[in-house]
Amino acid sequence: MSPEIALLIMLYLGLVSLAATVKAIMDRDLVKAIAYSAIQSIAYAIMYALLLAPDILIVYLAVGAGIYPVLMLYAVSKTRRYEEDGSE
Amino acid sequence: MTPTTTLYVLNLAVLLAVALVGVYGVLAKKNIIKKIIALTILGDTVNTIAIYLGYRVKNNPLPPILPYLHPTQQEISVFASRAVDPIPQALVITAIVINLAVTAFLLFLAVKIYQHYGTLDYRRILEKMRR
Repeated sequence: MSPEIALLIMLYLGLVSLAATVKAIMDRDLVKAIAYSAIQSIAYAIMYALLLAPDILIVYLAVGAGIYPVLMLYAVSKTRRYEEDGSE
Repeated sequence: MTPTTTLYVLNLAVLLAVALVGVYGVLAKKNIIKKIIALTILGDTVNTIAIYLGYRVKNNPLPPILPYLHPTQQEISVFASRAVDPIPQALVITAIVINLAVTAFLLFLAVKIYQHYGTLDYRRILEKMRR
């Protein structure tokens, strides 16, 4: 693949991950925030494939889209699902 | 500026913007688990920037894997002139695993804090600590 096309696809993926990051930071529902951060992880994994790092793609797909969300969902299931507004 | 250079700088700017949003999340969010999510996003973005700086835009880059068992001199020189930089990739693969361990430890601490204080808002935790 020529580097120009790779950079164009990477720009699109970067904008997707920017939008997913903003949604993940702003959402009050922690489960939704974890789902958005998994979307961002998948965009980064495709980015690693475009940047010719196939070994990191394998590791990061397992870690970013598999283990991080499972660990965080477990922590959320032990605690509270919604952020408190701190006004009480 | 050629179109390739423009795209390269634009990509870097988008990645830096994601890193800035991550820093905002770590500093400004009140919920501890939300802070941990922002921290993982920040770490992954910094890793991606490291790999991106090792990328080579000129003359059709190759992955940094030598596919021959006994390469000739000419194959080695072609590989050296076209492959992307392998050193950031070797460092980042370590950093991803270290981030995973740190995140698991921080989530354990968050669950323990919730069991002890009954809240995840760090201001209310500070109030209860002073009492």
